Amino acid sequence: MTTLGELFGAALIVPGAIDPARAAAVRERWMPQLSRYTRLDRASYESVDNPDEPALVALMLRAAERATGRKLACETTRLLHLAPGDYVLAHHDPLYEGNPVEVTIDLSPAAVEDAEIHYRRSGQVFFRVPCVPSMLAIVERGVTITCNHCYVSKLHERASVVRFIILLRDSA
Amino acid sequence: MWRAPTDEAALAARWGSAEPFPHLIIDDFVAADQLDALLAILEDEGVERYEGDIFRFEASAPEPTTDALTELRDGFAAVLAPTFARITGKPVTRVDMRAFAYRPGHYLLPHSDHREGLTRALAYAYYLPSPDPPRGGELELFACRVEHGEIVATDSARMIEPRANRLVLFDVSDISLHQVREVLGGLRISLAGWFYASEPQGEQVPLGYP
Repeated sequence: MTTLGELFGAALIVPGAIDPARAAAVRERWMPQLSRYTRLDRASYESVDNPDEPALVALMLRAAERATGRKLACETTRLLHLAPGDYVLAHHDPLYEGNPVEVTIDLSPAAVEDAEIHYRRSGQVFFRVPCVPSMLAIVERGVTITCNHCYVSKLHERASVVRFIILLRDSA
Repeated sequence: MWRAPTDEAALAARWGSAEPFPHLIIDDFVAADQLDALLAILEDEGVERYEGDIFRFEASAPEPTTDALTELRDGFAAVLAPTFARITGKPVTRVDMRAFAYRPGHYLLPHSDHREGLTRALAYAYYLPSPDPPRGGELELFACRVEHGEIVATDSARMIEPRANRLVLFDVSDISLHQVREVLGGLRISLAGWFYASEPQGEQVPLGYP
């Protein structure tokens, strides 16, 4: 595995991080519980806050600790679902104090063209995470880092982007 | 090329009563025998792809690169700014103008055009005849519910089809939330931009404003 320091000092992608059957099981557990966010000047998506998936979180936590060399603990978890026409704009994304680590694992049933996550430093995209099933992304979130989830085109009628996102901080 | 509408009182009444925020739709905006000349002006104006978190489209540069488009923009301001100032009560003079091309998969997500430090007062879009009329690409206006100065809810309120030779004029404010819905087929071409306030806003009473 490439270390973070060898890339942007802050971001890394790990392909094939979860078995597709396990990803499908997570989807099946949580998709019925999605609730929609509809303040359209900021975002359009469905999500579940704090889904309890200890085994998945442990997998993501281990990957982040290996990549960063830091001892981390999970602060929040979230399942995000984007359908055709959905998006999350950069100004909907919170700014984090300190230097937490955001880990996202793609649980989508199939790849979706252009449905990327864009991480931005001072507004400029420095890291793109494509929508590829089982792909894991690890990003250190400094105070100037924001992200947006790109618009999912209605031309991809059956697109279903599913992301499990956790925020990690240094453990005491 | 441009001709000012003559029914100002009626348009002012429509402007003031429009929901979810002041706007006007004027069809057959340019004389039919002028449309070919208008399209010819744009043939030499190059467009580039632009992409951000809220948009993906092709557009000409912020400033026209040809004398012809510069003249077209300046003529638009000279003919229409005085009329629109009377209709809307907003004292506008200067205008900018870019050409936009939305192809399948292109969009402009919900936003208001208001930016601190800029004096955008009115937004406009003029839809040009397309060789392949678009499917999708409607201008969608949203009603915003505001509490304590912050938007707390947004609801779709009006859908405006990008019909050829149609001009849409709308108010610029914190709550003039709108989007260009994704184009699903064909080509949506337009001229669009803003009229800028020449004086602090609110000094004129809109003509016929209810």
